[in-house]
Amino acid sequence: MPDASLVLGIETSCDETGVALARIHDDRTELLVDAVASSVDEHARFGGIIPEIASRAHLEAMVPTIQRALGEADVDLGQVGAVAVTAGPGLVGPLTVGAAAAKALAVGLGVPLHGVNHVIGHAAVDEMVHGLFPERVMALVVSGGHSSLLLVDDVATDVTELGHTLDDAAGEAFDKVGRLLGLPYPGGPHIDRLAREGDPGAIRFPRGLTAAKDQARHADDFSFSGLKTAVARWVEARQDAGQEIPLHDVAASFAAAVADVLTAKTIAACRRHEVDTLVIGGGFSANSQLRELATRRCAEAGITVRIPPIRYCTDNGAMIAALGAAVVRRGLPASPLDLAVDSSMPLTQVTV
Amino acid sequence: MPLLALDTSADICVSLVADPRPGPWLASTLGTLASRRVVEQRRHAELLAPMIEEVLGEAEVDRRDLTAVVVGTGPAPFTGLRAGLVTARTLALALGVPVHGVCSLEAVAAQALTDLDAAAEVLVVTDARRRELYAARYRRRDPATPRGELPEVVALDGPLVDSAVALQERGAAQGATVVGAGAALHPEHLAGDPEVVVDPAVLAVLALRRAERGESMPTEPLYLRRPDVTPSAGRKRVSG
Repeated sequence: MPDASLVLGIETSCDETGVALARIHDDRTELLVDAVASSVDEHARFGGIIPEIASRAHLEAMVPTIQRALGEADVDLGQVGAVAVTAGPGLVGPLTVGAAAAKALAVGLGVPLHGVNHVIGHAAVDEMVHGLFPERVMALVVSGGHSSLLLVDDVATDVTELGHTLDDAAGEAFDKVGRLLGLPYPGGPHIDRLAREGDPGAIRFPRGLTAAKDQARHADDFSFSGLKTAVARWVEARQDAGQEIPLHDVAASFAAAVADVLTAKTIAACRRHEVDTLVIGGGFSANSQLRELATRRCAEAGITVRIPPIRYCTDNGAMIAALGAAVVRRGLPASPLDLAVDSSMPLTQVTV
Repeated sequence: MPLLALDTSADICVSLVADPRPGPWLASTLGTLASRRVVEQRRHAELLAPMIEEVLGEAEVDRRDLTAVVVGTGPAPFTGLRAGLVTARTLALALGVPVHGVCSLEAVAAQALTDLDAAAEVLVVTDARRRELYAARYRRRDPATPRGELPEVVALDGPLVDSAVALQERGAAQGATVVGAGAALHPEHLAGDPEVVVDPAVLAVLALRRAERGESMPTEPLYLRRPDVTPSAGRKRVSG
């Protein structure tokens, strides 16, 4: 028999096939299992995600990943009380595979379907790690595809997008700088590793949209494209002069610039909106410079910072199960079975 | 007890088919209880699940009474095909029933060969987009199958993807009857009957027979094309 408190979440917005099970308790949402299959290795030689390759991998991984999740949690599929799925934003081909699978499960099990927002899932996953959100939280979601500042009054019904990146996402900038430094794709983890041994103050790279003139229109927005170009120019000038590139210092100075902008703007937004809890999520929140600086500056500002462990920051089913659980907990209506995936789903839209 | 058959290789179509089917294997008694077809090149993933609910509702069949799920494996454009395959696989998983895959072109061939001579051959062509066709040539597996009875088919060529011109030049249709929606696309090179399209009930009958014979029917997609990818070019300089 279906158990209304048991939510299965499916995530396929990019290159990870994620399936997770969440249990709704009165005072918390419990993660029972989080199974992920990734096609990232198949994309590495192309220097970026190839949507068709990812889509094919999702199709092949879907049933095995569902079965693995059920097996590890020792749950029978018939016990699942609701199915949540990423409806967007993301890559259309991959999203379509997950949505079709979720619909088939909902039809086959006779349970409600909930299409939810991937980016808000990156924040919601922390409810399974650090407990249900207080009344109002700020969420900074940073990944290869997104850098967004969200004011979360209710994670299932009331999210306001305060700002976002005007060009590259933070993780995207890392991957691009990784490429210009000759590092393997994805560049983020490699830069992070190099940066830990470099001097973050060695090179003063620009901080995008932090000038006084940008405060009126772009106080809560980000821009990393100019920073990426500044790094490229600096490296090229050195190369042209026949000098060696101090990889550790370039990585550390670049990473410091990104972490500085993200944390400074986010904390300023917390102050402006009188929010004392900050949640950081998304694949880029695995970045150690960001984690360290956010932790230090939030402590100084008296803000409680919640950053889930790295395994919950990357794309996974847990974030979708967590947001699905929040939706079910509030008794919101199910999504229609003809729901369409939306590659550019607005961040103010939590559910479909 | 019914089974559910669906195909998203071209149109989106779903049928509930009696299992076991009534009477002999006559094309006229395939045992369709309810069916839906939407002629639509997109939105497979949006329309399919509601269509499944509709056929169940119309035939007043409880989903838990379904005995199997049968799905057309293409060849077909990628996104629509995947929507059908992942739907079939996960629905079967949810229902705890087997899922069987049948090449969509075989269903068209079996249907067309039903009313043709024992030695007849058909070239099935469907729209592969990009000015190309999916194509495969078939004949009856057993020439003794009487006319009017849905035959098991055997592939003589394909399935493959190519342009109508190339198919014509290599004589793919020589001595064969051309059928399938692709026959309407380049009549100057390949003319035939475009009205013969996949009937999920035919997929179902082929699958039931193959299951009786103990044949395995994987649901692997027939993409026939590699993903479009270009290995990343070298980085461009930003300074002059």
